[in-house]
Amino acid sequence: MADTEPNPLIGGIYRVALDQPLAEAGGGQMAFVAIDRRPNRAPAMALRVERRASVRARALQTLTTNIDGLLRPLTHGPGPGSGGEAGWYVVCEAPLGRPLSATPRPWSEALLIDLVLKPAAHVLDQLQGHGQTHRAIRLNNVFQTAPNQPVTLGAAWAAPPAMHQPAAFETAYSALCAPTARGDGRIADDVYSLGVLLLALALGRMPMAGMDPVAIMHRKLELGDFAALTAGERLSPLLADLTRGMLAEDPDHRPTPASLRDPPGARGRRVAARPPAHASRPFRLGGVPAWNNRTLALAMAIAPAEATTAIETGTLAHWLRRGLGDSALAVKLENLLRLRARESPAEKETNAATMAMRAVAAADPLMPLCWRGLCLFPDGFGAVLAASYPGDPATAAKLNEIAMTEATGIWARTREDREASATHVAEARRWRSILRISGPAGGLPRLAYTLNPLMPCASSQLEGRWIAQAVQLPSALDAIAGVSGVTLVEPAIAAFVAARTERWLDREVKDLAESHDPAGTALNALRLFAELQSRYHPGALPSLAAWVAAGSQPLVEQWKNRERRTIVEERLKQLTATGQIAAMLTLLEDPPGHAADNEGFRAAVADLARLDAALRNIAGGGAPRGEIAARLGQEIAAGLGLSAVAATLLLAALG
Amino acid sequence: MAKPPKAARTKKTANPAGAGRSTVWLSGLACGGLVAIAPGIALLAVGLLAPGLVAAKLDREPGRPVGRTVLTCGLAGCVHPTIALWNLGQSFETAMAILADPATLGLAWSAAAAGWLMTQVLPLGVRAALEASAIARAARLRLLRERIAEAWGLDDGGDPA
Repeated sequence: MADTEPNPLIGGIYRVALDQPLAEAGGGQMAFVAIDRRPNRAPAMALRVERRASVRARALQTLTTNIDGLLRPLTHGPGPGSGGEAGWYVVCEAPLGRPLSATPRPWSEALLIDLVLKPAAHVLDQLQGHGQTHRAIRLNNVFQTAPNQPVTLGAAWAAPPAMHQPAAFETAYSALCAPTARGDGRIADDVYSLGVLLLALALGRMPMAGMDPVAIMHRKLELGDFAALTAGERLSPLLADLTRGMLAEDPDHRPTPASLRDPPGARGRRVAARPPAHASRPFRLGGVPAWNNRTLALAMAIAPAEATTAIETGTLAHWLRRGLGDSALAVKLENLLRLRARESPAEKETNAATMAMRAVAAADPLMPLCWRGLCLFPDGFGAVLAASYPGDPATAAKLNEIAMTEATGIWARTREDREASATHVAEARRWRSILRISGPAGGLPRLAYTLNPLMPCASSQLEGRWIAQAVQLPSALDAIAGVSGVTLVEPAIAAFVAARTERWLDREVKDLAESHDPAGTALNALRLFAELQSRYHPGALPSLAAWVAAGSQPLVEQWKNRERRTIVEERLKQLTATGQIAAMLTLLEDPPGHAADNEGFRAAVADLARLDAALRNIAGGGAPRGEIAARLGQEIAAGLGLSAVAATLLLAALG
Repeated sequence: MAKPPKAARTKKTANPAGAGRSTVWLSGLACGGLVAIAPGIALLAVGLLAPGLVAAKLDREPGRPVGRTVLTCGLAGCVHPTIALWNLGQSFETAMAILADPATLGLAWSAAAAGWLMTQVLPLGVRAALEASAIARAARLRLLRERIAEAWGLDDGGDPA
């Protein structure tokens, strides 16, 4: 069984060589040699997935064809983890050279264009064609096989998008988000990272090195990304024009990957954006000075409580009018305040968070969704939820609020002029509907498993195991079922089953949550495990069957006829030994048998009532019987007397 | 005061006491006729049926079952003496002579006594038979009940009898 074998074959092909780590190949993630059991194949590496970092399931599913210049994913699956625990690995093509970060040096313009820009643009163009983004273009995740060879983009599939990106390689908006909450984004985000990579290689050093992430973000928002990253360093005119376009604040202004394959053409298509108005004096929020609307949005995102107070007291609107000269934004904030006054006072804190979120989006429509200090892009919601459930209750509570208030829909409507909100609104409604499902079949756990198709089950009962797919669950449950006092039907497992099996086990999980009597609980557990076994594990599950049988006594006792009950008990023991739960369910459920049993029971009760009445009649019938006996005896005597008369008369007549 | 309905005024309801009185009158008339026509037979009948007459007088049960049985049994004992009296001329003296015969009187009165005994013993016998039958049936029912209760787990109710 996959989950019990210490080092199983991943995808039936690769075995992880834990004794052969690849220090530089993973771009910051732990990587090992993946031994291909087929001979003469290209080298592969296995990237170990962190338990709280959800893998990019859609990319793993989509990127099935080879893309030159990209370490694409080959397969994924369970493997040996650290400390004897199970792990999960994404197997990718292994890089044939070292990362660019290993040999820092300034690159010439020609080399940058021919060996970095053009091959990377080709890869991005291909990814865009597949509807995917890379989101991990950084110095330690771009490889070169040999000098004067085109670079290869590293693997980006074993962690949430942009999770390991340094703040300098991401826009301020993306860097502001929690590492797992940056989302897949758009190909323009990869163009931005590629632009930073070109700058770093042109300069021969990491731009903005040693700076605090908040300082990097603030500097980018205050000066503009190109100015902040180059910090006055001179670049060749072509490179300067290209990177200026690639580092445009507005993603819509960045060149497309296809256009970057023709650098002179891309240079000429630069879109100039108007720089934001600069205030005469800063407005301080949470220690962050705001000089323009972009840094104001950053400050409000970092210090939402102070921002709310500033909006409510009117000091912010005053600064916007007098200090920044942005009356339109001041009016928007005042409208938000009026809107809040009309909302339900019962949800004061949620309303304040919603207002702050709207205010941030109004100040800078490119900002992510900012909710009580948690910043995320809606497409990163699933990953940040996977990272916070169940270990980070504070973040999980914020995510719960975001989903329950459909904040992503509100956020999208606030920036309707940039992007159509319909998808976000529909998605927000779907999340909320999942949260509103009562019992273990719904709620935050269900949402987490639904949005992260390869997230492992977080049940404490499965500690040490990596159960990411429903097909792994039956054998894992069978393995732990033998442990004394184990509870297999617990919320985390129920939510996992409900999410992983889409809709077809919803009823079983819901019934399990709603049943309060022992027989109902036992029957629903039996149904659930029988379905799991029949769908995913047709083989025997003896321990799980024994666990289910031990809890099935209330179901056995539902059989009212003792002889039938004994037969059922004996048969249940036999089926338990075979480990076939579906057969146990058939035996214990048996509607025709139960109907006959109930009918027999009703008849037996009626018979007993009739017999009791008859016995009572017999017991209380002494006096009537005495009367009958007296009457009958006297009638017999009278009859005998008449017979005597008749007999003597007959004798006399006969002489 | 409202008058009773016409039908109630015109139709007389049956009077059992009146009917009884008529029977007594008719019986008295028949007895008087018998005494007048055949005084010997009347004397013999009175003498031999004396226990029955006493039993009928004393029996207060509806239908006088004891009196009836004693009379019929006594009547069986009267048949031969009456035939003998008929054949000997039906005189008063002959009747007295037959009555004076202890065997004849003893037989008739013994027959009456046997009748009385039957009225006392037969109800007891019937009662015993009925009780035995009831006990046997109750035992069968209890066994059946026990089996059903055992088979269906209904043995907590207990036997009501």
